[in-house]
Amino acid sequence: MFKQLLLKATVVAALACMSATALAEEKTIKIGSQVPLTGGLARVGLDFLEGIQVAVKQANDDNEGQYQFELLTIDDETAPAKAVAAVEKLASQGVVALTGGYGSNIVGPASGAAHELGIPYITSGGMAVGLTQRGFKNFFRLSNLEGYSKAMAGLAKMVDADKVSIVYNNVESTTDLAEALERALDKAGIESVIHSYDGSTGNFTPLVNRIRLQDRPDVIAMVGYENDYIAILRAAKILKPDIKAIVGGWSLATAQMNSEFNDVVQGVAGTSMLPYPVHFSGGEAQRFAETFTELHDKTPDYIAQFSYVQTKLLIEAILRADKAGEITGESIAREMHKTDSETLIGRVTFDENGDNPHFANHIGQHQGDKVELVWPESAATAQMVLPGRPW
Amino acid sequence: MFELTLQAVFSGLLSGAFYALIALGLALVFGTMKVINLAHGELILLAAYVAYTLESVAGWSPLASLPVALVVVGICAAGVYFLISRIKRDRELNSLILTFGLAIIITNGILMIWSADVRSTGGDWAHGAFVLGDSLFAMNAELLAAGVSVVLVVLLYLWLNHSWYGRAIRAVSSSSEAAKLMGVNPRQLELLSFIIAGVLATFAGVALYSAQTIAPELGHNLTITAFIITVLAGMGSISEVLVGGLLIGVIEALTVTYFSSSLRELSGFVLFLAVLLVLPSGLSGLKMKTRKAGPTGVSPGSSEKPARQKQLQHD
Repeated sequence: MFKQLLLKATVVAALACMSATALAEEKTIKIGSQVPLTGGLARVGLDFLEGIQVAVKQANDDNEGQYQFELLTIDDETAPAKAVAAVEKLASQGVVALTGGYGSNIVGPASGAAHELGIPYITSGGMAVGLTQRGFKNFFRLSNLEGYSKAMAGLAKMVDADKVSIVYNNVESTTDLAEALERALDKAGIESVIHSYDGSTGNFTPLVNRIRLQDRPDVIAMVGYENDYIAILRAAKILKPDIKAIVGGWSLATAQMNSEFNDVVQGVAGTSMLPYPVHFSGGEAQRFAETFTELHDKTPDYIAQFSYVQTKLLIEAILRADKAGEITGESIAREMHKTDSETLIGRVTFDENGDNPHFANHIGQHQGDKVELVWPESAATAQMVLPGRPW
Repeated sequence: MFELTLQAVFSGLLSGAFYALIALGLALVFGTMKVINLAHGELILLAAYVAYTLESVAGWSPLASLPVALVVVGICAAGVYFLISRIKRDRELNSLILTFGLAIIITNGILMIWSADVRSTGGDWAHGAFVLGDSLFAMNAELLAAGVSVVLVVLLYLWLNHSWYGRAIRAVSSSSEAAKLMGVNPRQLELLSFIIAGVLATFAGVALYSAQTIAPELGHNLTITAFIITVLAGMGSISEVLVGGLLIGVIEALTVTYFSSSLRELSGFVLFLAVLLVLPSGLSGLKMKTRKAGPTGVSPGSSEKPARQKQLQHD
């Protein structure tokens, strides 16, 4: 009798241990990241990856013992074909979702491949209008052109500009932003003239001279990339057009530009969610900054901030999907569409096309060795210095 | 309108001279060895990054960094030649593949060492304004680069035509076997050509760093520009490299000023194709056409050697 009781008790105890072990087993979830770590967008891609890594680390710290998020990263070499290959390889490695991508001409094909494979894809690096008009239910975008163009037009209005000359790189995303800016300026009653240029242009003197002598604008708006901005500003410093301000799109009002090209960017404004040096206070912002510094031994900039937010939202959706029953591409996409969060970049929701309708950028101006936010007034850290130009 | 055109022509001439500086080294190697060095742009970029390193680490101005850059790029150029010299068959085709691979290696080496960040000199003088009569504007670095380009074209032309080594290089280009019989060592002279091409690339690289921004992916574009100018000028033609560069520079600047900056590159290509349609040998063909030639291609009564022995046309 006693022996039978002991045997039963042993079996029950063994079963209990097995259940406990099963419950305690940490679940590994793979997230993929396809970013440009080499090629023309490498610098931005590295910043992007750093923000993603912060989000993954925090998720692992917060869910220790329950979930382990494994980040698999592949360099797309700033090439669309390589980006597609990267997505396919990540899919074969079992990732449940993708975060990353920079440059609309790369995000487009990469997210298309993800869509075919049924894998949700979130980015803040693809601005082209067409990206959210493909009917993809598993594509999500944190930032969009309207947020950028609204900010740039807001600055033009703030300095009482009557006419703006828009100079833009003729690739898809910068063309879309230039056109969005043109519409925003038109809505604000400001005349605009647009000039496109090829990305391989090194000498902008003829173009800036044309703007100086023919357009005679109050503001020059630049839509391009770092090397374009430097070349345009250098030509403008030589020709000295009589303008109130120069404003740029992405990648201009950054810590990097301030420290590397301080004399060229003085007074120049550009879109930026953060001032530099960045001050984070309280809660999530401070935690983000501390984790970032711990991982990368430097302060974060706005690009990392975007990629952090997008990855955090993705992870939260994955966790909700798991609690709801299962982790699949469809369930994650469903949870992403239910997102309504206050984040470091403001409120984020995703409409039926995957766009975040609440996105609104700020404008930062290089003032000395700082980047101060000067628009909108609600986010401003300093007054705008006029004339907003480096001469 | 006049002021606009004047500035466009002025800017175009400066850009064109810079294009010629980029192309000079490639033209020399192409003319002497019939080899297209697809890593030429990367050698230029390497020189630019050496200048950047010396400025950021030691505070040297780009001009002061020239001697160091010359040594570094010269050694690399010699290394490229060493690899090309190992090719035993179909050198023209196989060297294309080899140098293409070298270009990728150098680009990624630059990326690993210096990262992808955009770089440029912080020197005030380089980016200072040169203003002429309140109508013509340029950066000091642009003017200096154009001046250096003209000087180097002249020096290279004189060297090829009036020095023993120059004549020997032309002899090797014409007939390697015949040159050997005259006591010339073809390998030594080909190595010399490559090193001189490296020297020219160094000047182009330092000029690039001084006047513009640099990034690892630029090498490819520089090689294409150099190749276009070289073909436009005509194989082995040095003085026409400057003419071709100036033509393209001016056409591009006028296109930007009066049409669209997006058409800049297209206008250069259109000019390139138009010239080749009319003059298949490039701009150097214009000189050949204007001579009254006899059946052997030599002016009657001339003591000059027949044209087929003059594959390097420098006059």
